[in-house]
Amino acid sequence: MTAPLPTPELTQDAVDPAPDRSGTRPGRATWRAFRKLPLGVASLVVLALLVVVTVAAPLLAPYPASFGPDVLRPPGAAYPFGTDSLGRDVMSQIVWGTQQSVLVAVAASAIAIVAGTLVAVLGAYVPRVDAVVSMVVDLTLSLPVLPLMILVAALAGPSTTTIILVVAAFSWPEVTRLVRSQALSVVKLPYVDAARLMTRRHAWIIGRHIVPAVTPVIVVSVVVTASRAVLSAAGLAFLGLGDPTTWSWGRILYEAQTSGAMGSAWWLTLFPSLAILLLVLSATLVSISYDDARKPRGHGR
Amino acid sequence: MSIALFVARRLGRGLVTILFAVTVTFLLLRLLPGDPALAVASPNTTDEAREALLVQYGLDRPLIVQYVLYLGQLLQGDLGTSFTQSVPVVDVLLERLPWTLLLTVTSLVLTVVIGIPLGVLAAAHEHRFLDRFVQVVGVTGQSLFVPSIGIVLLLVFGLALGWFPIGGATGDNVYGAAWYGSVVAHLVLPAVSLTLIQLGSYVLTMRGTLIDALAADHVTLARANGLPYRRILWKHALRNALLPATTLIGLQLGFVVGGAVLTETVFAYPGIGRGIYEAVTQLDFPVLQGAFLLLAVTVVVVNMLTDIAYGFLDPRVKAS
Amino acid sequence: MRLRRAGAIVGAVAVVIALGACAPQAPPGASTDPEADGGTLRIATTTDVVNFNPLIGNSRSDSWVTGLMYPRLLSVGDDGSKQPELATGWGYVDETTGWYEIRDDMTWSDGRPLTADDVAWTMNAVKRDAPSGTFTGQLTNFESAEAVSGTRVEIALTQPDSSVVEEIGFWGTIVPRHVFEPEGSVADFANAGGDDGWVGAGPFVLTQVQVGQSYTLERHEDYPLVEGGRAEAARVVYRVYPDINTEILALRSGEVDLIANSLPPAQVDRLADTDGVEVAEVTGLGYSHMTYNMDQPDLARTEVRQALAHAVDYDAIREVVLQGQAVSTLSSPLMPVLTDYHDDSGTEYEHDPDLAGELMESAGYVRGADGRFPVSFRMIYPLQDPVTSQWAQLVQDGAAEAGITLDLQGTERNTYLAQTQQGDYDIYAGNFAIMDDPMTNFALSYLPGGAINYTHVDDPELSALIERAARTFDEEAKIALMQEAAALVQEEVYDNVMYTQNLYLAHSSEWTGFVSKPSELLSLVNPVSIASAHRVPEQS
Repeated sequence: MTAPLPTPELTQDAVDPAPDRSGTRPGRATWRAFRKLPLGVASLVVLALLVVVTVAAPLLAPYPASFGPDVLRPPGAAYPFGTDSLGRDVMSQIVWGTQQSVLVAVAASAIAIVAGTLVAVLGAYVPRVDAVVSMVVDLTLSLPVLPLMILVAALAGPSTTTIILVVAAFSWPEVTRLVRSQALSVVKLPYVDAARLMTRRHAWIIGRHIVPAVTPVIVVSVVVTASRAVLSAAGLAFLGLGDPTTWSWGRILYEAQTSGAMGSAWWLTLFPSLAILLLVLSATLVSISYDDARKPRGHGR
Repeated sequence: MSIALFVARRLGRGLVTILFAVTVTFLLLRLLPGDPALAVASPNTTDEAREALLVQYGLDRPLIVQYVLYLGQLLQGDLGTSFTQSVPVVDVLLERLPWTLLLTVTSLVLTVVIGIPLGVLAAAHEHRFLDRFVQVVGVTGQSLFVPSIGIVLLLVFGLALGWFPIGGATGDNVYGAAWYGSVVAHLVLPAVSLTLIQLGSYVLTMRGTLIDALAADHVTLARANGLPYRRILWKHALRNALLPATTLIGLQLGFVVGGAVLTETVFAYPGIGRGIYEAVTQLDFPVLQGAFLLLAVTVVVVNMLTDIAYGFLDPRVKAS
Repeated sequence: MRLRRAGAIVGAVAVVIALGACAPQAPPGASTDPEADGGTLRIATTTDVVNFNPLIGNSRSDSWVTGLMYPRLLSVGDDGSKQPELATGWGYVDETTGWYEIRDDMTWSDGRPLTADDVAWTMNAVKRDAPSGTFTGQLTNFESAEAVSGTRVEIALTQPDSSVVEEIGFWGTIVPRHVFEPEGSVADFANAGGDDGWVGAGPFVLTQVQVGQSYTLERHEDYPLVEGGRAEAARVVYRVYPDINTEILALRSGEVDLIANSLPPAQVDRLADTDGVEVAEVTGLGYSHMTYNMDQPDLARTEVRQALAHAVDYDAIREVVLQGQAVSTLSSPLMPVLTDYHDDSGTEYEHDPDLAGELMESAGYVRGADGRFPVSFRMIYPLQDPVTSQWAQLVQDGAAEAGITLDLQGTERNTYLAQTQQGDYDIYAGNFAIMDDPMTNFALSYLPGGAINYTHVDDPELSALIERAARTFDEEAKIALMQEAAALVQEEVYDNVMYTQNLYLAHSSEWTGFVSKPSELLSLVNPVSIASAHRVPEQS
């Protein structure tokens, strides 16, 4: 599982008001700053590659067969990543596993982000809701999440939908926590009060002013939540709670463990582990670089 | 606020959190699709035994009544009976709890002991090479998948080099002083594995907090007064950064416990985490539930203790 | 400051004292250094030992440990025939009376002699209290047992049964009357050791339990069933690991000397080639099969069952999933290993998807536009069994090729058992570990209401054959009847027996002397084997 995210110092930044007429200017500046960070760019390229693999999976490798003639072959010419204990090509498993892992990560984090942001913004806007929200968030964050995920997944039965919902259900509090602090500071700003005087349509105020202001935070948390979702899903699959009808990176490790092949077939451990590391690391680096790029150098000291 | 009030408030919060965990567990079992009887009766009990269990656990009564019954059982320490072993869940879990505690506490201590110097190093050389290096290491550490690390350590240090044993918490038939040695030998690899994954985020947080502390006004003042940098770093900045870092331990605990589940599975370490893995394969729900509750309570208690300790140490809390 | 310092020191001292109390002390009367006197044999197992009462249905690990303590009357040889262990002779006095003669030199570990009285008492107690398990299951036609002398037991039957003496002899573990009787019902007695520890007559007796980790057994100095009158090793320790992977690592690193559960097929060659590890072959006494639930209207038709049988690629399954370690039984429940019963003239169902399609069409089913027949069957299999899980996939693929749709439903063990009991499936896929006596197995599998009649078959002709065989005491006539019954089962596809599998166990090259017996229950961990195992002597 992953560690709690160190809270970035967001409240110290100048909060962007609703985008002005040349609304893309802050975005453009960020992008230019981002381009100068080598780690960030490299990670973005890696991420893009992984997305390409996800989409182009059928073109890259055939769906792993139920079995094959060459059992536990080390990586070589015929099988670049080797085969597993049923003779199935590990590279196909990794390629199709990419699709599953990315899908789960994107879906789970999308749900978590939408839900988390809504709750956070609503809470910031309506103080009474906020009290409840912050309490629920604190409570959920102080519980050991993986055992709870395990319990739910075991009860509901292993399937992709279960995994997505379980991961999303335990990721939204973190999103809320991040977004809430930003949203709270925005809500207190004078122009929001002015907007409240101008119109009673709260939805408009929230949509036009508050959401854009918290968007940078959302971008950061999208990437981080998604990468955490990958780790959680892989962890559940490793314990045998993944979807047994689809291939995922965690499942490769799980099958290696239960077939007794892990000690002798190093390739069964290496490739899925590398894949997970690559996805999570590049996502994290992208989000950190984005954060760095957003804050002009020398600010805040 | 006075100390007493502070402690009371923290206790109250702790209790509320535990109640929350209990309620979540209770609701999960009864609201998820599937037979709620699954929670108390394994699928191959006879029909009469099943009926008896349903009545005993009140599963045929309204939700509120069930909830009260459930709370009552918990207060008496009854976590149900394991499907596979036909023994009370409490017995199964309490046997394993000390090992999980040993593992998590050891890894937390290691994290702090290694993390603080690294964080200091990074902050002291901010934006220069060492800092970047530590940052990259920290980010990579955050992205590691627990089983991968565990398996690699096991294969390299356990099998190939043979420095450490493969599984279990102690050797068999060792007594007295030799027993301690055996415990330590079996603890090293799992603890290192668990430490590696927390270290990343801990170092990064430490670094961040320390950088902020170094930028604070009173530090600038001290520097202007000509105090040596070293002294400033350790005496002023570190003190301030240390306290939030201590609470961070408490926050980390929930996540560490999750990591322990995976680590114990890889290293065959007989703690609650491995108990969870075994219960999952058998779909032994009473054990799964009980494990979660026990872990939640442990996390909450440790958090409370840490916060209270923090309260004692932080003069600002006492003074206000 | 000083106060805080003092507090910290007090706290640290308290922690040290608390930890100091943790370390276990050596139990009093522990044997002298085991290394000097035969060594310690460490055996790896994947399931914790939870039940120490051998009369109650046990998991594998439980049976392995209790098997070292409580003797059986009969053992089984490589051809499935029964062999003497505690009993030296056995047979029938008349059609409703059986007898056993037992050894006179066996003693319990507390010094009391093991006599026919213990044997008779055990059987009567199991009949009276009916603990759930295989032993009770064998006592259907048993009425009572009596010790007519110190070494002879006679059993009374309620009706003629030509197999029951051997079956009770094999499945009946004998417990000490003087320990079990005071505890009341044997169905409830946990036999957890209590203050005085355990009493057994096997080569080893349990002395220490570390739940979830290790089980230590010390040598019982009086075990006449091996040369030398006692086991070679001084001590046996069962260590628990969560999965086969960790067990293999532990074996390779020298932490254990033997892995008690059989190896996954793909690991056999690999480990055989590993330095320091030997792989031993164990005859399999069970088979893997699929049964088609005849309560389902489509499956009640013979052509449909035959079609399904022809849609399976048996060779592929045996070659790939089982790495060539499986043997065809020629689709008959009379396996090749049962040399007396096996009928060489039979043939296996041929893998022929076209023939399968024709059979379906001849039964009146018409293919749809997608080439599929308008039927679909739900097949259950145990998820925790990797081999069955794998060939279930292959069966599904094969059936699809013939145009038949199979819905796979893999479930965890308890649900699987429950579904099986309730007949909640169309096709059942599973395996039996020990099918040692054809007649008993046929009765249980093919008679209406039989405990493992998963096909739900009720064929009067078949039932008549089986019942006649049960009452036939002439071996040759019995064999002929069984073969006729088996041929009928195969023709009507009342059971699709796919393969029998030999098992492979891995052990360290430093130990030798194991005596292999069939089935995973006995394999290398049967009491005679463990008692005979010893370290390879150093080459000087």
